[in-house]
Amino acid sequence: MASLFWLQCGGCGGDTMSFLNSDSPDLIELFDTLGIQLLWHPSLSTVSPVEYDKLIDRIIQDEQALDILVVEGAIIRGPASTGMFDTRGGRPKKDLAAALANKAHLVVAAGTCAAFGGFGADSYTQATGLQFQKKQPGGLLGKDFRSRAGLPVVNLAGCPCHPEVIAGTLSALVAGQPLALDEFNRPLDWYGMTVHQGCTRNEYHEYRVEEWDFAQRGCLFFHKGCHGPLADGPCNKLLWNNRSSKTRAGVPCFGCTNPEFPMPSPFFETRNIEGVPIELPKGVSRAHYMVYKGMAAAAAPERLKKRETKI
Amino acid sequence: MSKRIIRDIPLNRVEGDLEIRVELENNRVVDAWSSGTMFRGFENILVGRGALDGLVITPRVCGICSTTHLMAAAKALDQIAAVELPDNAIRLRNVTLMVEHCQSDVRQSVLMFLPDFSTTFYSAHPLYAEAVKRYAPLAGERCIDVVRQTKTILEIIAILGGQWPHSSFMVPGGVSYVPPLSELNQCRHILKNYRQWYEKTVLGCSLQRWESVQSAADLDAWLGENAAQREGDVGFLLRFAREAGLHTLGQGHGHFLSYGSLELPGDSAVLGNCAGKQLVASGFVAKGGETQAFDQTLVAEHVAASWYADYEGGKHPFEGETVPNATGADGKKYSWSKAPRYAGLPAETGPLAERIVAGDPLFCDLLKRDGANLLTRQLARLTRPATLLPAMETWLAEMAAQPDQPYYAPVPPLKDGRGFGLVEAARGALGHWVEIRDGKIARYQIVTPTAWNGSPRDHAGMRGPWEEALIGTPIADIDNPVEAGHVIRSFDPCLVCTVHVVGADETPLRC
Repeated sequence: MASLFWLQCGGCGGDTMSFLNSDSPDLIELFDTLGIQLLWHPSLSTVSPVEYDKLIDRIIQDEQALDILVVEGAIIRGPASTGMFDTRGGRPKKDLAAALANKAHLVVAAGTCAAFGGFGADSYTQATGLQFQKKQPGGLLGKDFRSRAGLPVVNLAGCPCHPEVIAGTLSALVAGQPLALDEFNRPLDWYGMTVHQGCTRNEYHEYRVEEWDFAQRGCLFFHKGCHGPLADGPCNKLLWNNRSSKTRAGVPCFGCTNPEFPMPSPFFETRNIEGVPIELPKGVSRAHYMVYKGMAAAAAPERLKKRETKI
Repeated sequence: MSKRIIRDIPLNRVEGDLEIRVELENNRVVDAWSSGTMFRGFENILVGRGALDGLVITPRVCGICSTTHLMAAAKALDQIAAVELPDNAIRLRNVTLMVEHCQSDVRQSVLMFLPDFSTTFYSAHPLYAEAVKRYAPLAGERCIDVVRQTKTILEIIAILGGQWPHSSFMVPGGVSYVPPLSELNQCRHILKNYRQWYEKTVLGCSLQRWESVQSAADLDAWLGENAAQREGDVGFLLRFAREAGLHTLGQGHGHFLSYGSLELPGDSAVLGNCAGKQLVASGFVAKGGETQAFDQTLVAEHVAASWYADYEGGKHPFEGETVPNATGADGKKYSWSKAPRYAGLPAETGPLAERIVAGDPLFCDLLKRDGANLLTRQLARLTRPATLLPAMETWLAEMAAQPDQPYYAPVPPLKDGRGFGLVEAARGALGHWVEIRDGKIARYQIVTPTAWNGSPRDHAGMRGPWEEALIGTPIADIDNPVEAGHVIRSFDPCLVCTVHVVGADETPLRC
C-alpha cells in the first residue's frame, strides 16, 4: 500500500476535477492497481475535522507514513509573508504544506499554481510554487529540497494538469521507476513535446495560412496569440476528455504549462513587429523563420488557402 | 441548565476552504458565522489586462464551474460589443453550460453530499448498511459508477470547445469553433447514453415519468410506486433523509433569487419557462411572496463583516471596491466573502431557488409543506438534469439540422464600455460586471453564488443564507458535526469561487 495525501492550497480545484476525468485507468482503477490508500482528499474524504487534525499530527509525529503528498493550488504567502490569506484553523496553510512535504517520501505538484505559483505569483498574495517561483528555483521549500525518497518536487504543469499526466506520474513513482525531468522538474514523457505537435491545424501553420478571426479555419499562431509552438505539453498527443484540444476547437493555446503562466501580454493577440511574431516557435532563429515562412506562404496549396480541407 | 459552546468547524467536501463558527446551546445551533478562509486576489490579475482576458482568467477561478464563468465573461463582453449572437452560437454555449450542470449536480450529490450517510454517525440508521454499500468514498457502488459516468458527458464540452475544465471557446460574438455534423452527432450519442444512465440509476424512471411528479403527494406516490424508483439515488436520498428527519433542518430566510439563464435561440422548438426569453426564469421571491421581476441594479455588496476596508452600506458591483483589510480582526470581520444583498435582503440561490422563482408546482408545494429544508434543496439539485436534458437534445439536433449556419458574428476590438454577464451556475446566480477602458480591463467584479449563499453578515447585522439555515440545527457530537455539514453542503458551496475573487475589481472608477 502507498499512502497518499492530497492537499489543496490556493487553487481552483481544477486539477482535482481534471483528475476525476482520468480514463484507462480511471481514478478507482488507478488507486486499486497501485494499492494507493487515500489518507485525505478535501473533496472526497469523509474524515471528520477532529480526525483530520489527528491524521496530520500522526504524520508529523512519524506515526503515519506519508508515501505521496500531492499539492494542488499555489502556496499563498501574503499578506506581508504571513500566509494569512490562506488559513486552516487560523494558521497559514503554507506551514502545513511545508511540514507535510518534509515527511513525505515523494512530493508532486499538480498544476501550474502548485508548481510555479501561477495566478497571484506577481500580486500581493505572494503566490509561489512548492519549489519554483515562476522560473526561479526556490519557492516554498527551497531549491535544495529533496523528499525522503531523494527527489525534488515533481512538477505536473498545466492549468489544469492533464489527468493522464497525474495518473502516469503516480504509476511510475509508486513502481519506483526513474522519471526523467526537464529543467523545471516536469517529466519529459509529457513535457518533452510542444502543444503544437499533433495539432490538427499543423498544415496551416506549415504554409502560413492564418486565422484572422474566431470560428475560421487556419493557424492561430500568427494573429490569435496561440502559444502551441512554444508551450511544452501533451495536449495534442493525449487529447482532452478523450476527444479534442483547445487548438483543435479554435481556441489558442495560452501556454499554461509555462512557469511564467499567466503571461502579462493580452491573450488572443500575437505580439509582432511588422507582422513577424516576437515570440517564434521554440528553437527557431529569426533569420531562418523569415526566409522559411515567406517561401512557405508562397508555396501554400489552394486547398488550404481556400479552406477546402475540413479541419 | 443550558450549556453553551462556541466552536469552529472546518468543512470538507465543499469546493474550497470554509470554516463555520457555531454557538451551541443544549447541542443546538443558536448562532453561526460562515468564514471563507482564503483570498487569492484576482483583481490584480485582471485589471490592466487585455479586454478579452477575462475569458481565459475567470474560468480559472473555479475548477468545477469554469464553463459558467466563461459564459458570464462572454455575455458581459457581448453586451459591451452590442452584438447579436447567431442562433447556433446560443445553442452551442447553452449546451456546454448545461453539460457542466449535469456533471456537477450528480458529482456533488453522490461524491460530496451523500457520503455523509455512509459514516458511522448513522450506524443505527436502518439504511446505514445500504448507504455504506452505495456511497462510501471511492468504494461505494454508486460513487464508483458516478466517477465513471460523469466524465463521459464532459466529452461534449471537449468536442465543442476543446477541453473541460478551463477552456475559452466562448468569445464576444459567439464561439470559436464551427462543429461539423459528424461531431454534433457524436455529441448526441454521448448525451443519449448519459440520459439513459441518469434515468436508470439516478432517477429510477424515465424523464417523462419524473415530469409528471407535480406535487408533494405525487412525490410520495412516485416513491411508493416501484422498486426502481425507490432504489435510484433520488429515491434513496428521500428515504434515508426522511427517516433521519433531515427534512426538518436547514430552513433559512426563505428569500430566493435567480438571475435567469440559457437564452433561447430565435428559431427553436425549446420553449421558455416564463414570459422571458430564457429557459431558466429570472426573478426574486421574498419569503412567502410572489415572484418579482429581477433588476440587476438592486444587487449590492456589503463588507461590514468582510475583511475589506469599510464603506457605508452596500455598493452595486459597477461601483464596488475591494481593498483587503486582513488586519481588521476586531471581532466584527470574519470572512473573505463579501455579503451580496438583493433590495437589501439576503437571498438563497441555486437549483431550488430557480424552481421556486419559476413557480415549479412540485417544489412550490414542497416549500409550502416543509419549508426550504436541506432535503428539498438537495432534491432540487439531483433532479435538475431532468429539466435540462430534453432541451440539450433538441438544441444539438437543431445544430445538426443546420450545420452551415453561423456560430460567430464578427466583433471589432473592444475599446470602451461596460457590461454585465448574468448566468445561473450549477450552484446559483453568478454575475460578472466588467468595465473596459482604452482596450483594457479597468474594473472586473464577480459576485458568485456562494457569495450569496455563504455570505457573512451585512452592515445591518443580518446573517447570510446558510448562517441562517444553521440556526436550530441539532449537533449530537461537536467533534463530528455531520448535521451542520448536511445543511451547508445542501447549498453546494464553492468557496474556491467566492474567496478567490470576491470583487475582482480595481481601485475606484477613473472617470
